[in-house]
Amino acid sequence: MKRLLVLGLAVLGAATLSGTAAAQDKPRCGAGNGTAATGAPIKVGGIFGNAAPGDFSSATDAAKAFFDCVNASGGIHGRPVQYMIENDQWNPELAGQAASKLVRDEGVVAMVGNASFVEMSVNAPLYARENIMAMASGCAVSECFESSSIVSTNQGPLASSVGAAIYAVEELGAKNISCIGLAIPSVGNWSCGAVEEYMASKGLAGSSVLLNPAAPDVNSGLLEAIASGADTMLVNLPAGLAIAVLGSAKEQDIRDTYKWISSTPLYDRSVPGALGEYWDGAMFVNAELTPFDGTGPDNVHWLSVMDAYAKAEDPRDTFSQAGYLSAKFFTQMLEAMDPGDIDVRAKVTAAIKAIAGYRSDLICGPYYVGEVDRHMPNHAGTMVKVSGAGFEVVRECYEYEGPYFAPLIEAEKKFGLR
Amino acid sequence: MAYSTSGIAGLAFAALTAVFLPVLVGSQWVLIFTSTACFALAAAGIGLMYARLNMVSLTQVGLMGVGGWVTLRMNHGLGLPFEFNLLAAGVVTAAFGMLLALPALRMRGLYLALITLMSAGGIEIVLSTFRFPNGGEGFWGVMPSVAAPFRRPVLAIEDGAYLRYAIVVSTLGMLLIELHRRGAPGRAWAMIRRSEAAAMASGVNVTLYKAWAFALSGLLAGLAGGLLAGSIGLLDAATFRAPESIMLFALAVVGGAGSWPGAVIAAILYRVLPALFNDWGLNPDLALVIFGAALLHAIMTAPEGIAGQIRAALPRWAK
Repeated sequence: MKRLLVLGLAVLGAATLSGTAAAQDKPRCGAGNGTAATGAPIKVGGIFGNAAPGDFSSATDAAKAFFDCVNASGGIHGRPVQYMIENDQWNPELAGQAASKLVRDEGVVAMVGNASFVEMSVNAPLYARENIMAMASGCAVSECFESSSIVSTNQGPLASSVGAAIYAVEELGAKNISCIGLAIPSVGNWSCGAVEEYMASKGLAGSSVLLNPAAPDVNSGLLEAIASGADTMLVNLPAGLAIAVLGSAKEQDIRDTYKWISSTPLYDRSVPGALGEYWDGAMFVNAELTPFDGTGPDNVHWLSVMDAYAKAEDPRDTFSQAGYLSAKFFTQMLEAMDPGDIDVRAKVTAAIKAIAGYRSDLICGPYYVGEVDRHMPNHAGTMVKVSGAGFEVVRECYEYEGPYFAPLIEAEKKFGLR
Repeated sequence: MAYSTSGIAGLAFAALTAVFLPVLVGSQWVLIFTSTACFALAAAGIGLMYARLNMVSLTQVGLMGVGGWVTLRMNHGLGLPFEFNLLAAGVVTAAFGMLLALPALRMRGLYLALITLMSAGGIEIVLSTFRFPNGGEGFWGVMPSVAAPFRRPVLAIEDGAYLRYAIVVSTLGMLLIELHRRGAPGRAWAMIRRSEAAAMASGVNVTLYKAWAFALSGLLAGLAGGLLAGSIGLLDAATFRAPESIMLFALAVVGGAGSWPGAVIAAILYRVLPALFNDWGLNPDLALVIFGAALLHAIMTAPEGIAGQIRAALPRWAK
């Protein structure tokens, strides 16, 4: 009997210890007390796009994982976050309806983690009218960066392309860059146009080759870029199309004739395998946020939050990092507010606009918002090159320059961030 | 003009929805029903062509894109009121529809359908390449920045009032079809539908009346596209792809071509059903499976569509 009692106590002790260990294994988020949050939820919205031409849901997946972690860790001022997510399916009508539902019907206090080609263009006026801020994570169009009501943790195609061009000029000796993008005014024309302006500001040559998004012909696009007389090819396309362009270049065996650079879409774990050995060491890619295997505390925490609170199949990519970071900054901002004000949208909006100088190892510079008509706090990045089955960092954090960034730098001086 | 039970029911339906819908539903559903009203008008145009002339038009959603483009261009380029822009959209799209009719007039059946589908494909490529005006300079009026403000009608600035406005315009569009049906064009179309040769022998100008039908259908599509542009303030080429025209035609057949309830049912299936699935957490593409089954059902057992089945089930006095 005594042996049975000892055995029982031992089993009970082991179970308690393992339970405690499991609880300790789970990451903590926010300043909560460690017990699950209760009480009236704080309503927060998020809109992503998932249909052809791509799935941007990893941003809202990561933001959701972070908010789940916050709720399990004690919430914000003890209250849980109710994160409501809608898919705009790249359809402007659905994007407008989703925003109406969240902003007007549900009365969310802010939008966090938005990632879409369409949503920002449609809803920027609504956000301004309703005095609500969108702390986005997956901006890909100019409207997203040139709105008073949207601020994103990612860089988008313009900053990323200019960043890649700067690296090519300064490190690879590029004199003439041809930017291959999509003929969408607020995407390809906008971002490749900024590359041309940067090259012109340095007394160098730049040109754009814009593919029809409805029927992109990568072979003709590449031939047009070659005909421009460029010595460097900047591939500024979604990953699938970019891989097709590089496939065409491989068939023509022109890797060593030109220097090859790309904006962020090619910074994806699956890309080196898809490109194959031919591009090993020859393809330079701009990364908008910290490399995935970064050892900074936020990057490590992002991965642990994803492992603990997201699905195993949810991507751990750049948009995921950006979604995590938007949710983290939003939580940090709400925690600094008076608990009585966090349900008042106008006060939350004012508090978001007052953000200045938030820092994270996931981005190179400070994060700020401010009362301005354009936002692009993240305009410094990292350069990597395809190396074996992964990527190798070839240039640590560096700031982008060029005519587009001049007003941003002026604003940062006014905020006392420089 | 004699009033039919169906006509009175239609007007009552329009009045009831205009009065109560904006009050009873939330902001999201106000936008969904506005979109539904727009597509009901476009589906009525498809029904006109199919039921009156037995002509299959697979370009109606593309023509909506043309109407939307004109409305946006006028809005951003000139300081005219919304009504002028909408009217211009209707007139330009009607002319476009008539232009489309000229090569199509010698075609029938499958060949005519293919011609209209090719037109829809052409419109899709143009809209995808040049995009919709958003306040930029030049002919195409596109700028890489946040769209300039859209001026809605003075009486319909808010979403709820705009839904009422869309219902009123759609109702007027359907009354215009009815006016044609009861007049000389309606009689000519009926004769052409039975036999073009007989119609020609009777002195009916077949070319004129066929082109007229294309123009009227184009006018309705243009108005619908203009209304849709006013609903969200900007448009995207993805809304007006060629497969969407095929889908709306199929749903017009399922709903019942040639009557106002058919057009309304088609638009509800097209816009409300996927939104409901979305709200219930189901994949909205599930609606496509239901559309396929409904089309088979309509072809095999309900040539007058769901509207015809409902009419058949009504007591005699209500028909």
